[in-house]
Amino acid sequence: MRWGMAIEQKRCVGCYECVLACKAEHFLPPDIFWNRVLIGESGKYPNVTKLIYNVRCNHCADPACVKVCPTGATQQREDGIVWVDEDKCVGCRYCMVACPYQARQMYEDGDAQYFPGQELTEHEKIGKELYPHKPGVVTKCVFCMERIDAGLAAGLTPGVDRAATPACVISCPTKAIHFGDLDEPNSDINRVIKEKHGHPFHPEFDTKPSIYYID
Amino acid sequence: MIQRKPYDFMVKYQQQKDWVDGRGNFIAFAFFLGGIAGGLFLAAAYFDNLLGMFIAFLLTGLMGASYMLHLTHPMRFWRMVLKPGTSWISRGFTFIMLFGFFTAITMILMQWAPDATAAITTFKVLAGIFAFAQSIYTGFAVSYVSAIKVWNSAIVPILFVTCGLSGGLAILLAIMVGQGSAQIATLENIIRVVLIAFAIIVAVYIWNATYSSTAARDAVVRLIGGVLAPLFWIGVFLFGIAIPVVISVITYWVHDASSALLITAVVSEIIGGLALRFAVLKAGVYEPLLPSD
Repeated sequence: MRWGMAIEQKRCVGCYECVLACKAEHFLPPDIFWNRVLIGESGKYPNVTKLIYNVRCNHCADPACVKVCPTGATQQREDGIVWVDEDKCVGCRYCMVACPYQARQMYEDGDAQYFPGQELTEHEKIGKELYPHKPGVVTKCVFCMERIDAGLAAGLTPGVDRAATPACVISCPTKAIHFGDLDEPNSDINRVIKEKHGHPFHPEFDTKPSIYYID
Repeated sequence: MIQRKPYDFMVKYQQQKDWVDGRGNFIAFAFFLGGIAGGLFLAAAYFDNLLGMFIAFLLTGLMGASYMLHLTHPMRFWRMVLKPGTSWISRGFTFIMLFGFFTAITMILMQWAPDATAAITTFKVLAGIFAFAQSIYTGFAVSYVSAIKVWNSAIVPILFVTCGLSGGLAILLAIMVGQGSAQIATLENIIRVVLIAFAIIVAVYIWNATYSSTAARDAVVRLIGGVLAPLFWIGVFLFGIAIPVVISVITYWVHDASSALLITAVVSEIIGGLALRFAVLKAGVYEPLLPSD
């Protein structure tokens, strides 16, 4: 089993819903983004193309970050999900340097709040209890592994059942993001990648990313 | 805080900042201190100079302190020995501890049991092995990062260890000048050879990077003609190579060189070594997210 994503670029409208869903799901502090939407243009007027790329940790099958981590804080599960054990991270940033996709961030300011000088919002208060992020450690997308684990325990199928699927996937209003098991030949995600010629970013780094992009 | 523009991120080379900005400065210092500590120990062991070994030991302590300042959770430092199988930081941390341990034993024996020659030689060799390992691992830690093409070169470890050795030899020269040693001429000859080797390795590294990939070429352009040019030409070339080489040539012809001249070369060499670490780390750029075509 190896969880992966396929993102259809032409379907993405750049609404940032996936970014917001991710922030809400994990109660991410200000300035921390596990999921980003990058918008730019290419070409010259009048032949201009708008580029919208939804990026996050690629959960590579052969991740550079896991190899370089000196403490074993960055780990890879059997299902391919790469995550950081906050209690083991020393903050050396070697994983941030080694990631070709610059998908990692250092959560430094534990006191940062969305509305400085005012009381914490209810969402922030709940977040500090339910999903307390520890400052001074590296943070990144975890493919909503809590949802996946809870879903599998309840007999659900990630990528099919909403409750077992990452928040960014289910929140996408245009269904631009597909999620599923890359090791299952007949899965929806493999069909989409095969039929629409999905490709990962920078395969030359040989980290075998689990996120495919469809132009 | 500087906001990264999405468009730049997608199509332009992005400088790595995690190992040069803020706390990242300390890892550059750690790499520098580890290099010269290893080089100094090797040189001091060759010349049987106890003070040199002791200063190498102190510099290794400073390297450890610099490492601790780099970490956001320094009290968890002991965890850094847990992944020597794949992580160069973990291997390096192990090398540092073993170097410190064997150097301490060597110095104790040399000071209080000078007749135990077999034991002194054994521990000195062990300490020497880990001094070399401590000096070269910093290069491997950098060159292992395949995401940054200008770092991902087999020349980087050789460059770092040569730079560390030249810095270590320079410090030993200062020590031996202070001690009025009779072996200064021999040491100067070794320094001349290492300095020439260092200059050649820097040139080969830069030349090789321009041919290895477009990202590495972009880094070289930044280094020799871009924003990093003052650091490279003044720090690395002028202080690290030109001034020491000129002084080496002068001392070759003028056999009774003044101490002030030699100390100038030593200080210049140390500044150059530090500049090299910063220059290489600052030159690191990531490929743009999107292919150029």
